[in-house]
Amino acid sequence: MSDDREPGRFARLSTAGAACMLLWIFRVLFGLLVGYPVVLAIQASGVTAGPEGDRVLFQPGSLLLLELLRIGAPWLASALRAALLLAALSAVLELLPLALALDLLWLPGRPLGERAGRALRLFPGFLALSGIALLAQAALLLATSLLVAAFKPVLSSSDERLQSMLPIALFGLGLLSCVGVGCVLDVARAALVQRERGPREALSHALVCFREQPASLLLGAYPSIAGGAFGYLSAAWLLTHLAPNGASNASLALGFAAHQLAVLFAIAWRVRWLDLALDLSADRY
Amino acid sequence: MRRVTRDSLIGAVFSALSGYLAWALLLETGAQPMPRSAAPSPQAAFPTSAESAPKVASYEIEAKLDTEKHRITGRETIHFVNRSSGALSELWFHLYLNAFKNDKTLFLRSPFGAGRSGDKAREYGYIDVKKLAIAGGDEDLWAQRDRHSPDDPDDETDLRVPLPSPLEPGASLDLQIEFEAQLPEIIERTGYAGSFHFVGQWFPKLARLEPNGTFAHFAFHAQSEFYADFGDYDVALDVPSGFLVGATGTRVRETRDKNRTRLSYHAENVHDFAWTAWDRFETRRETIAGTKVSVLFPPHQQRNAEAELASIRFALPHFNARYGAYPYPTLTVVHPPEAAANAGGMEYPTLITTGGPWYSTLGGGRFIDIVTVHELGHQWFYGLVASNEHDAPFLDEGINSYAEAEALEAHYGSSSVFGAFGLSVSSSALNRLISAARGADEKIAQGAADFATFRSLGAIVYSRTAIVLATLARVYGSERINHALGVYTRKFRFQHPTTTDFLGVMQSELDSRAVSALTLALSERATVDYLVREISNAPVSAAAGVFDGPQGREQKKPEAPHQAAQYSSRVVVYRHGTLQLPVEIELGFEDGTKQLRHWDGSGYTFNVDNVGPSPLVSVSVDPEQRILLDDDRSNNWLDNRGNGTPRLRDRALYTTQMLLGALGP
Repeated sequence: MSDDREPGRFARLSTAGAACMLLWIFRVLFGLLVGYPVVLAIQASGVTAGPEGDRVLFQPGSLLLLELLRIGAPWLASALRAALLLAALSAVLELLPLALALDLLWLPGRPLGERAGRALRLFPGFLALSGIALLAQAALLLATSLLVAAFKPVLSSSDERLQSMLPIALFGLGLLSCVGVGCVLDVARAALVQRERGPREALSHALVCFREQPASLLLGAYPSIAGGAFGYLSAAWLLTHLAPNGASNASLALGFAAHQLAVLFAIAWRVRWLDLALDLSADRY
Repeated sequence: MRRVTRDSLIGAVFSALSGYLAWALLLETGAQPMPRSAAPSPQAAFPTSAESAPKVASYEIEAKLDTEKHRITGRETIHFVNRSSGALSELWFHLYLNAFKNDKTLFLRSPFGAGRSGDKAREYGYIDVKKLAIAGGDEDLWAQRDRHSPDDPDDETDLRVPLPSPLEPGASLDLQIEFEAQLPEIIERTGYAGSFHFVGQWFPKLARLEPNGTFAHFAFHAQSEFYADFGDYDVALDVPSGFLVGATGTRVRETRDKNRTRLSYHAENVHDFAWTAWDRFETRRETIAGTKVSVLFPPHQQRNAEAELASIRFALPHFNARYGAYPYPTLTVVHPPEAAANAGGMEYPTLITTGGPWYSTLGGGRFIDIVTVHELGHQWFYGLVASNEHDAPFLDEGINSYAEAEALEAHYGSSSVFGAFGLSVSSSALNRLISAARGADEKIAQGAADFATFRSLGAIVYSRTAIVLATLARVYGSERINHALGVYTRKFRFQHPTTTDFLGVMQSELDSRAVSALTLALSERATVDYLVREISNAPVSAAAGVFDGPQGREQKKPEAPHQAAQYSSRVVVYRHGTLQLPVEIELGFEDGTKQLRHWDGSGYTFNVDNVGPSPLVSVSVDPEQRILLDDDRSNNWLDNRGNGTPRLRDRALYTTQMLLGALGP
């Protein structure tokens, strides 16, 4: 644990809260940006142009939702391509608020201007680390696919359930490995914020942390991942039972609140993990 | 270490809660029925025309299955009665297993893949007739057969056999046949996969004899199904011990020795016989609405078997009431293993096949219910009302798709196709999606082989017919349409109705405009699209200008617009296409009031005029979404207020936030 970090419980909570709000605000902005082409495409289809507005898309039976998919398919396909490009761009740009949040958690007292400048300086390193992690995750998924393909002939004469479960289980393991890479990546980011010695040293530092404390690192991120899933599923369950169609204004407000609370809840657990990643990294220095 | 333990515990609690929520969302909302209406009451006023069929061709078959070679050695006796008005000088045999004999057959030679599955044969199948003789005679009639199907030297599925002497009307004969059937690796409806055998279209079978003395014979086309005469079937099957068998009819005898089991089946008033044998089947049995239902399914598919039984529990009484009681004592449901998926989704008398992987019931989709109810519906629309599936596939597949959707929506409401995560998809919505995507590319009422592709047939015969009937039900009343269908199924029970017969019943039961729309939609590729283009409003003010009256000349100045107390509003509703269907038009005014207007659909435009205190701001044509045939629903409305899309924006924002949360940094 670094001596530079704020020791008070309340102060640390308020710093974490500020980091949450920072990440949430950027997530809202990027979310609006990415979703905008799709919203425009749906409006252009004319399906929501009637007196019921977009309520028709959420009616029981989904007659007009399917009509939208049929009529709006050309626009929607283009809009989705644009949205995916914007999502990729947003994923890159979100590294800036992430750097800001990590810096805030590491040294809360720094002036905003200085912090922003530092985030900009850290950005190339963050980008390089993300690129390396992405390559590693792609390699892991490729290896999983090859493994599944290798098992396929062996499984062809086996029980049907095994035939479908084993690939799912292998892909599950592949995804878990990707999550593990993501955890190491976060520790590397923390190291970069703490020392600013370049992505290579940050990565090797994170790998040392992983080698020496694998359980702390992986299980430290566990509540963040499971908490995020719980938040999203809770919102889905709540809305399924309380406002299944979102027809009234009250259910619209409830839906918006539940959705944003779920996002905020997931971000809060992520911030907790980032704070922990800073500690894990600092412990090794 | 304490921290690691704490994090593990927190993560585990979240995981457990997430697992519960995911389970609840995937299973509870998807699987629970949402009853919308009770089963319909039987239509006692319309008794069935007959309780048994006029028997033309009855079969006694003995068959022995070699499960190693996938080969059946058999002998059969056909008791044939000439119930037509003409003397017969020839017989026509369907040897449909020859459809899989080589890549040049009518069935397999399509460069785009054969049949519904689009799959080519991997191991070929065929049927060899060893001998055909009239009982009591020695002459082998088979030697005198035509060598190939008419006008098709590469196909041997439709063969003519001359008779030594004419068979007069009312006369009968017994034909004795020896044959050997080599099953293909499962390709479509028939064949083997490992030790699983599904045996359909497997024995030499007479084509249907029409009342005028001609045979309705046709080669096995990849897009076509079947057509045959009613009769009784007595079939003895010899299979290796350890194989579980399901078959058309009722098992009447079973004998076993050390290596073989011999099972005898009896079926009355049916027009085909299919069976299955597998050494890994598991079974569920239950009596439903007086019918003994057996489900044969692969290991580990108990959930699917239960879903199939659950579907039959509501659909069998429903169909009994709608279309006349199921007359047979048994119903066998076969769920093929995944390796034999092409045997799934098929109907035979008293035996249906379903299908789907073991996880089919998870996730809110109702695939199992849909396929089970659809195939069960075929017991009426194919089994009991035995129309010509080759010439008029809409009479079985199309009307049955409507019956399936009607039954599923009666039981599951709007989630009859999918129901989970707060999203529901109904059968009508799905049928409309498929139907509208193909539009009226081809007419509905045409032969199976006349369709350009099987996809076209699928969309137009299955979905568009269902949507035509569903539209008529929504516009003219579902009870009237369902009643008319009930009259049709009862009148033509154990018969072979044509399109004319079907329309004849509709004419007697429905409004003439409904019948006109039905006929146009079936035979003329008729379409309809209601649309609005703009809303016009003008303030109503006292007439201005120079007026010469009894009191002399008077000059009236125009009123200022804000002084108007009344508004004259107009919206023009257009009808594209040739289908005339009555429609409701909902007008919305600035002060929040609404009005409903009715247009009978005649003419191509309809002016909706109104004079009132508030300007017209919105219009919605067919607000209740009754006209499922409407080509484009996005042009059915206008709203000058420019409604926002808050729900859409919320969902779009949330979805992208989740996406960025999962994929972003």
